[in-house]
Amino acid sequence: MTDAVALRPARTVPLDVTLVLIPLAAAMVGLVIRYLAFAATVDDASLASFADGLCRWDCAWYVRLAEVGYDGFPTPNLVNGGNWAFFPAFPMLVGVLIKLTALPTMLVATATSIALSIGAIRIAWPLLGKNLYAYTLFAVFLLAGPFSIYFTTFYTEVLFLFLTVCVFAALSQRRFLLAGLFAAGLSATRIVGVFIVFAILIEVWLDHRARGGTWRDFIPAVFSRPDLLLSFALAPLGLFAYMAFLHFKMGDALAFQHVQRAWGRPFGLPPVFVWNALLATPKEGFIPTASQVLGATTIVGYILAGVLLWKRRFGMAAYSLVALTLPLFAGMASMLRFVSGLAPMPLMLCELLGRNRVVAVIALLAMLVGAWYGTVGWLTQYLALV
Amino acid sequence: MTRPLSLAAYALTAILLAGYALVMWWVIHPKVPESYRAYYIDQTTTCMNQPVAGTYTLGTVVSFLPDGRDAAKPLKPCGWEGPTGDGTHAVGTSSRLRFSWTEPKTGSLSLSLDLIAVKKGGVAMPQTVDVIVNEQKLATLKVGADAPSHFDVAVPAGLVADGRAEVVFEFPDAVQMGLTDPPTRWRSIKLLAAGLVPA
Repeated sequence: MTDAVALRPARTVPLDVTLVLIPLAAAMVGLVIRYLAFAATVDDASLASFADGLCRWDCAWYVRLAEVGYDGFPTPNLVNGGNWAFFPAFPMLVGVLIKLTALPTMLVATATSIALSIGAIRIAWPLLGKNLYAYTLFAVFLLAGPFSIYFTTFYTEVLFLFLTVCVFAALSQRRFLLAGLFAAGLSATRIVGVFIVFAILIEVWLDHRARGGTWRDFIPAVFSRPDLLLSFALAPLGLFAYMAFLHFKMGDALAFQHVQRAWGRPFGLPPVFVWNALLATPKEGFIPTASQVLGATTIVGYILAGVLLWKRRFGMAAYSLVALTLPLFAGMASMLRFVSGLAPMPLMLCELLGRNRVVAVIALLAMLVGAWYGTVGWLTQYLALV
Repeated sequence: MTRPLSLAAYALTAILLAGYALVMWWVIHPKVPESYRAYYIDQTTTCMNQPVAGTYTLGTVVSFLPDGRDAAKPLKPCGWEGPTGDGTHAVGTSSRLRFSWTEPKTGSLSLSLDLIAVKKGGVAMPQTVDVIVNEQKLATLKVGADAPSHFDVAVPAGLVADGRAEVVFEFPDAVQMGLTDPPTRWRSIKLLAAGLVPA
């Protein structure tokens, strides 16, 4: 924290304004880079087709969810993969906004995603040690970095990251009830969001210890604090509300889980999947395969979780470990997206890179260049990005 | 927290927990159609029986290559992928065809099939295919992988008297192509053509 203050550059504009201008600038730069990459990659590219043109892979599912809602059973086009697999919070938010504005879906989704990213960046200021370099890097990572597609188009990652940052910001201020409310939204955004309850529990325990409490009086202390109890009870509300909806819609409260079978995902041990991915060498040349990229990303994720542990950020570390490990039981698919969208990961990465000005500048330039290649890779269907 | 707020928080917590208990009750008591339960929940089949129409003209043989895409589509409830250039690929441990026709019956019928087994890494994987029509097993076919084989399976007249044939193919020798492929992705045969023709 003191290093961060020492590294803070001299300012000529008020800090509050700077903290808004940085993500706004990152958003503009990101839009320009992604558009240039889009124009260089797609035939007949135009500004009018930009937002829709970046909507690839699962994005189409979200668009349909926002416009039409959830399918019944059987699905209208008689496929096994129903859209119940996708959690409702973000498509529902965009769905409401497109009803209110009557604007095209992808335009609304893009604007909402960018607004949520800017919000997440601003709220993350204290979580980044109030280090302006780390803050700038985090802004660029989300809005103008190699994986900015996830946070600026129509993917659930952006709301997931926003709410995760909100939960941890609330926890850092010991506002447990507020954290529980954000956690409720998180558990309606992605299934792993429900495990934020462990982070809340750990922070409550640390708060208890800081007040001189022991493990013997922990449970009585929690029961004597209705705000804490309510916070824990609120955390899974989004998940259970979605399950209740699925019960009435489909007759199966676990439809989101059961439908995974239609995607033919494997089931196995995470270390085996990671090992196999790392060993999936290219048939020729030295450019890593998509599997190797996913494997390496997963390793980086665990290293960052380890750093969180080492820095005694136990809540973030525990949540990250659970959120990293659970999807791995179904293979390596989408791990790059999951790691990028797991807030403690980019927060920790940017904090580390932001400790040194030279490193921060190099990282910033690398991220901006990466935004180009990330967008081109996205548009040319580079599998690791899916 | 003031006392009324504390009481309200306790009450809200209790209501939420009661709600969660109710949802958990729904979790262990799903109310779903049999086909949904078999595929998604019990996982007793890899073939999710979809309500396709089965629209078919009796006596015709439908191509399951790309040229017959439109005619074949309403005949495939589940367990098929494609068509690709070499046929419609069976996926999973069973596949299903549905034939529904309005033409008057003219006598005994024969289920005409052109099949070829898959290869794995260039190695032929001969397949055993059990053919079941309207829940009655009619034949066990041995399908090779070197060249397409033609089969005519006799269908008793009484079995399809109502102008409808639910044909199930079971693949006891289905092959796991990739190390981590789940049973829904196992491969067995490719279907090139099928139809119900006069015996």
